[in-house]
Amino acid sequence: MNIKMIARLVRKDCWLMRWPLAAYILAAAAGLAMTASGGPVARSAGITLALNVLIGVSFHVMLGPVLSERERKTLAFVMSLPVTPRDAAVAKLAAAFTLFLIPATIAATTLVWLSPIDIPAHMAASHRPLWSHLLGTLGYYALVLGAWMVFFSVVLGAAIVSESVGWTIGVLTGVLFIFGNFVMQILPALHGLRPYLRALGRGEAALPITIACEAAAIAAIVTIILTLQQRKTSFV
Amino acid sequence: MSDCAVQLCGMSKTYSHFTLRGIDLEVPYGTVLGLIGRNGAGKSTLLRILMGLVRADAGRVTVLGHDMPGDERWIKARVGFVSEDMALYGAATLRWHMHLVRDMHVGWDEARALDLLDRFHLDPDQPVRGLSRGQQVKALLLLAMARHADVLVLDEPTSGLDPLVRHEILKLLAASRSERRALIFSSHYGDDVATLADSVAFMHDGRLIAHAPVGDLLSGGKSLEKVFLEQVSAAECRRAA
Repeated sequence: MNIKMIARLVRKDCWLMRWPLAAYILAAAAGLAMTASGGPVARSAGITLALNVLIGVSFHVMLGPVLSERERKTLAFVMSLPVTPRDAAVAKLAAAFTLFLIPATIAATTLVWLSPIDIPAHMAASHRPLWSHLLGTLGYYALVLGAWMVFFSVVLGAAIVSESVGWTIGVLTGVLFIFGNFVMQILPALHGLRPYLRALGRGEAALPITIACEAAAIAAIVTIILTLQQRKTSFV
Repeated sequence: MSDCAVQLCGMSKTYSHFTLRGIDLEVPYGTVLGLIGRNGAGKSTLLRILMGLVRADAGRVTVLGHDMPGDERWIKARVGFVSEDMALYGAATLRWHMHLVRDMHVGWDEARALDLLDRFHLDPDQPVRGLSRGQQVKALLLLAMARHADVLVLDEPTSGLDPLVRHEILKLLAASRSERRALIFSSHYGDDVATLADSVAFMHDGRLIAHAPVGDLLSGGKSLEKVFLEQVSAAECRRAA
């Protein structure tokens, strides 16, 4: 892989997406500000905005830099530059994660703020050390942002490998169905959920295990994407 | 070192609806090869395989003495490619594209780029979506030619252009000939090929049915289109027999 070429392609995609990215960052920041203001209406509006940003940026990244290249015939131009298909796929993955992560991190902050455990109040009331609070906050980030990133990676993989809007929407629907049922039905029935969340909020062993599991899932998805990409015989 | 810039040996590619069969072709340095064929004859597939945009199922592709796709990055750095199926980013300006290509190609020649800008009457700060089809082709040619590529591969670059722009582009391509550069281009226009090419390859139904110097093909006083149609008929007869 040629890191310099990959970095240049990532910069290209970020530049082409600069206005939508700015809009998502602004929306995510507005959501965070509303949530932080504390009123019930503002909090509700803030969390709705944060969720919209997460969903919107995920779709936009799939449809913009990933799926539109072939349709707009710019893929032939990119592939005629001195890059291999693997370089191009790695650059697309890196650009997609970069474009997703900036607004998504702000949106996830809003969702963490609204976590079942009121973190600021909890921090003020308890006598736990500061590092424990910080690790606890990181734990909720890991849960919210990490889980969404795993979901995003699966759909991104479908988009990069299939280069088809139909397949991408199909995978998205399937993953949402599984993810939704897991959250709504299976998760509440798990006996270990409350102790796990408590341990996560305190930054105990559950935190590194959660991060490691999510990182392993994302790494596995990226490996599958690159392997499938390698087997392709047409790149335009 | 071989005197051939491009060598294709037994190259094949099969799709569900189309097969490119056993193509053998050599393009020496300093020469221009014109590819003529109907739509769907396999010209674009052949040129895409040459550029590493499509992988061949069988055979060997050598460009500038290096294997494609083994040395893909090395080859692409030295080959300029323009296709009618290629577009630039509509929201970005030509200057932005020039910076992108300059950053990725060591051979980029800024003076040559500025000269081509002037010659093509292109505004580098205009978004690409505001350029006409002819101007977009000129912009693509500028990006391919400003880096002194050793091989230029052009897939129907004059297709859909008005006669004036076609003439302008052919003039530029003729002026860009050099001893160390090979040029391969496909076209529907026999006149364009006859003007520019040293040799012509006729393609029909995924096969290379003839490859000869332009002078030999035109020696009977016939037009290139006429010779092509005769070759197609002969190929059909051979297949039927």
